[in-house]
Amino acid sequence: MALRSIWNGTVAFAGVFVTIKVHSATEDQAVHFHEVHVDDGARIEHKRFCSKEDKEVPYKEIVKGYEVSEGTYVLLEDDELKAAAGQGSRVIEVEQFVCAADIDPVMFVKTYFLGSQDDGKGAYRLLHDALEKTGRAAIGRWVFHNREYLVAVRPYEDALALHTMRFSDELVAADDLDIPTPSRNPSDRELKMAGQLVETLEATFDPTAFEDTYRERLLEYIEAKAKGKLDKLPRPTDAQDPGDLLAALEASISGKD
Amino acid sequence: MPRSLWTGSLSFGLVNVPVRLMSATRDLDLHFRQLHESDKVPVETQRWCSEEGKQVPWEAITRSYERDDGESVIVTDEDLEAIEPRKTKTIEIEQFVDLADVDPIYFDHPYWLVPAGDDEGATRAYRLLLGVMEQTDRAALGRFVMRAKEHLAIVRARDGALSLTTMRFHDEVRSAKGVPSATGKTAKPSRKELDGAVALIEALGADWKPEAYEDEYRKRLKKVVDRKRKGKTIEIDDSDAKPPEPVPDLMAALQAALEDAKKRKAPAR
Repeated sequence: MALRSIWNGTVAFAGVFVTIKVHSATEDQAVHFHEVHVDDGARIEHKRFCSKEDKEVPYKEIVKGYEVSEGTYVLLEDDELKAAAGQGSRVIEVEQFVCAADIDPVMFVKTYFLGSQDDGKGAYRLLHDALEKTGRAAIGRWVFHNREYLVAVRPYEDALALHTMRFSDELVAADDLDIPTPSRNPSDRELKMAGQLVETLEATFDPTAFEDTYRERLLEYIEAKAKGKLDKLPRPTDAQDPGDLLAALEASISGKD
Repeated sequence: MPRSLWTGSLSFGLVNVPVRLMSATRDLDLHFRQLHESDKVPVETQRWCSEEGKQVPWEAITRSYERDDGESVIVTDEDLEAIEPRKTKTIEIEQFVDLADVDPIYFDHPYWLVPAGDDEGATRAYRLLLGVMEQTDRAALGRFVMRAKEHLAIVRARDGALSLTTMRFHDEVRSAKGVPSATGKTAKPSRKELDGAVALIEALGADWKPEAYEDEYRKRLKKVVDRKRKGKTIEIDDSDAKPPEPVPDLMAALQAALEDAKKRKAPAR
């Protein structure tokens, strides 16, 4: 099966060029709905109206505006916005190679796969194998859809993965949180018991062990509604009550044995 | 302190930790509004019934799901409430795993968890969970419902607080198997080439310092807005940079790059 690519270009590091294609690595499986009119079940259309003249505005009469003070906008043409994107570059220039394990996953936004191109197979394999051997990730910048992204390239199974990244000023630091401290810290005994509880729940990460049960339930519900069999669906379950910390720990551990 | 987006409890065995969820990110993007060109006022979206050709108020709109056979099923707010689990205010920890085993491809949006309330019970339970996760170096996997959707989440200790990141389900992550990745014998690098590339990567190696990278795009965009505001023209560079040609001799390119990297590194010491 041919995988559709969304961009093609080159990953360059110090004079070595790896020609690549970019593919999406994730897909949204959420259940999507259409907006409909309650009275007749007909689809809802979105129309753009001028807020002053109360008449529909055709797409070609729409411009982008940045609000500088209330009600005052600086108008920008598409070309002017594009000017900010950076050169129409087809190259992801690697700036540095960093230890992949040092990058906290909160930095990552979206993942793509990089596929090799016929004229650059040797260089692709070389970059993959060398990154794997060194445990490093390549950091560079990528211009995609008129926007420049900071990206990390790292080996993922046999292929290379590319992550778009957040900038550090886009992250809220733990210091910005106001976490109250208890007058008394948890006792060693509590920590030890909590540690035992962690052990009883310890597992090897297996992504396939978690299904989107909400999505399943929603689709099941829709199916039942379509067939007029809603009354046959099972009821959801109840939550449990909170209790005394130590007693709860004890009960949890003995319950697992 | 950022606003809380969700309040509930993190449940771990029979222990409940009352928590508030807040975003771990802030939006620094420049946002633009759609304006009507002739009078420079914002454009607003109106919802119209496609059958009757008239505007529909918000209360008269519901949602419908289109089945594979093309038939539509109306799904009301009450329908969604009916399937929302009643334990909706709980993040139930199901497993503790090694963070290193969880590929970042599964990570979606990061949040912070803080104790809900400053009473002794809430803050001590929070400290207990934080302490035990720091001690065992494990991350917790659990589920919770936020904005009418169930999320899989990973909770771990980060910088002295509990961090929660929503996760993608396994069927939302594509397999890399179909990605052309030059696994054929002819593409396999020689020992010498691999050693050369490893040496080059180490020579270009640096410590990861996230604050060393700035959003140049955001800065340029601000500049464009500023210039335009002052009535200056924006220079537009249409020239596409020429794509580099793949090198015929990888080894020669590696050697040249390696020497270059060594030269650049030497005077810095």
